[in-house]
Amino acid sequence: MDVIQIVLLAIATFIFAIDQFSLTELIYRPIIACPIIGAILGDLNTGLVVGGTYELMMIGNMPVGGAQPPNAVLGGIVAMIFAVKSGFSVEESLGASVIFAVFGQYVVTLTFTLTSALMAKADKAAENADPKGIVAVNYMAMGILASLFAVLAIVAYVGGSAMSGPLQNFSTTFSWFMGGLGAAGGMMRYVGFAILLKIMLANDMWGIYFAGFAAAALLGNVSATSGATLLLVAFIGIAIALYDYNMNVKIKNIEGNGGMSDGI
Amino acid sequence: MASNVTAYKDLTPAQPLDKKTLNNMVWKSMMLQASFNYERMQACGWLWGILPGLQKIHTNKEDLSASMTHNLEFFNTHPFLVTFVMGIVLSLEQEKADINTIRAVRVAAMGPLGGIGDALFWFTLVPVTAGITANMAISGSLAGPILYFIITFGVQMALRYWLMYWSYSLGTQAITLLTKNAKEFTHAASMLGVFVVGALTCNYGATTLGMMIPNGTTIDETGAEVANFIDIQGLLNGILPALIPLALTMMCYFLIKKKGWTPIKCIALLLVIGIVGCVFGIWSGDYTALVPVPWHA
Repeated sequence: MDVIQIVLLAIATFIFAIDQFSLTELIYRPIIACPIIGAILGDLNTGLVVGGTYELMMIGNMPVGGAQPPNAVLGGIVAMIFAVKSGFSVEESLGASVIFAVFGQYVVTLTFTLTSALMAKADKAAENADPKGIVAVNYMAMGILASLFAVLAIVAYVGGSAMSGPLQNFSTTFSWFMGGLGAAGGMMRYVGFAILLKIMLANDMWGIYFAGFAAAALLGNVSATSGATLLLVAFIGIAIALYDYNMNVKIKNIEGNGGMSDGI
Repeated sequence: MASNVTAYKDLTPAQPLDKKTLNNMVWKSMMLQASFNYERMQACGWLWGILPGLQKIHTNKEDLSASMTHNLEFFNTHPFLVTFVMGIVLSLEQEKADINTIRAVRVAAMGPLGGIGDALFWFTLVPVTAGITANMAISGSLAGPILYFIITFGVQMALRYWLMYWSYSLGTQAITLLTKNAKEFTHAASMLGVFVVGALTCNYGATTLGMMIPNGTTIDETGAEVANFIDIQGLLNGILPALIPLALTMMCYFLIKKKGWTPIKCIALLLVIGIVGCVFGIWSGDYTALVPVPWHA
């Protein structure tokens, strides 16, 4: 066990964890992350092979539209640790890393939930016109996510593949809780919508809200248009908005010019 | 929340933002998802990104507070294309447009970019680049990852930079045309915004039931026994697709608007609904219900 390796591994994992959502959103990709982990563990070549293989696996597994794959960051890092330290083959190490990838996803779910609670702090900062408070909330959120990831990487390094069994057990026993957290996470955006509606939804706009809902339900359930749902919805919405704008401008001009013209 | 403020105190348009501030925000835009969360998604990172501009534009504390507050509302767009929304919003902030207008334009602009960005990056650029460079890496060449990074990062940054300047000048030009009919424009923009929020409710709403009630068996033509299920979500879809997301949104709206609940209280309630639901295997998902129920496999 090498303290320097552990420290470097933790730092690298910390950075990759942040990078998967912020920064470049690229260096966390296995093709880049695995060679770096390989260099830390003293086997760059294995890093390139695992990274290239994992990257090809992931092309069909993109972080699209908010859907989360079992976490690729932790999967890649742990696969590297097993490949270099336990002497597993590339396929074996990728297989053994899956449960860690699942835990990586748990951490993401947990952080996204905790950070929802941090928004109250951000609201305070905004109210006080305090930019430093906003920056602090952002750093806090990144810190929570990245630290938990670093801990999991150290667990994999120290515990090795022997950790897979206990983790698997934990995951089976508490899957209802993580499932519930995930389900609740998926619901929290409705609070965000509700706040927008509270401000935007004047009484004459209810119909427009439901029309938007209907447009998305239609376009989103047709395979030919589902990829471009929101763009197409915007086209329809712009047409409605332009019509509304032109009509109101016309009415204003008539009222302005005619004065009594609306009285016949 | 000071969300009831609809206009800035100081209505004199601010000086146009200098290149240094705009470039600063192009780099800051990389932190869009730093505090991503389930409730407001990218809102706090979005605000962090445009803060340098807002601080230049709003010189008095009250206006800065109002601007920061409304920019902390729900926000979600494609991370690589966010500078497009930044440019437009900043041009409106600079002209001290009505806050309802800024909000509506922001909501309308953020939605469609998600699909465009995914198609552009995750379905096209990244797979093509990975296809070329991954094999270089597997054969042991360090050029693989380096090339991968240079191509994808280069395209991403060029796009961020260009979109920021393009949309900022676009917004600045458009605004002079619209100030003449500001009230009408605000109404139309709010309409577009509400329309898009309606679409988001359906499009982002992913909550579904996972209840499959066993309903006996039938024999198929090969003579094998097939189990039958009643799919509750399928029945709900027959009434209205995305009924649960709509109902939960309306519930939160009611609690916040009529009952004066804070967002955090709503989140706590949803946490309970989510976890209790999974104890009884009600919500869909890959988990084992705590209580053994017949409808959740």
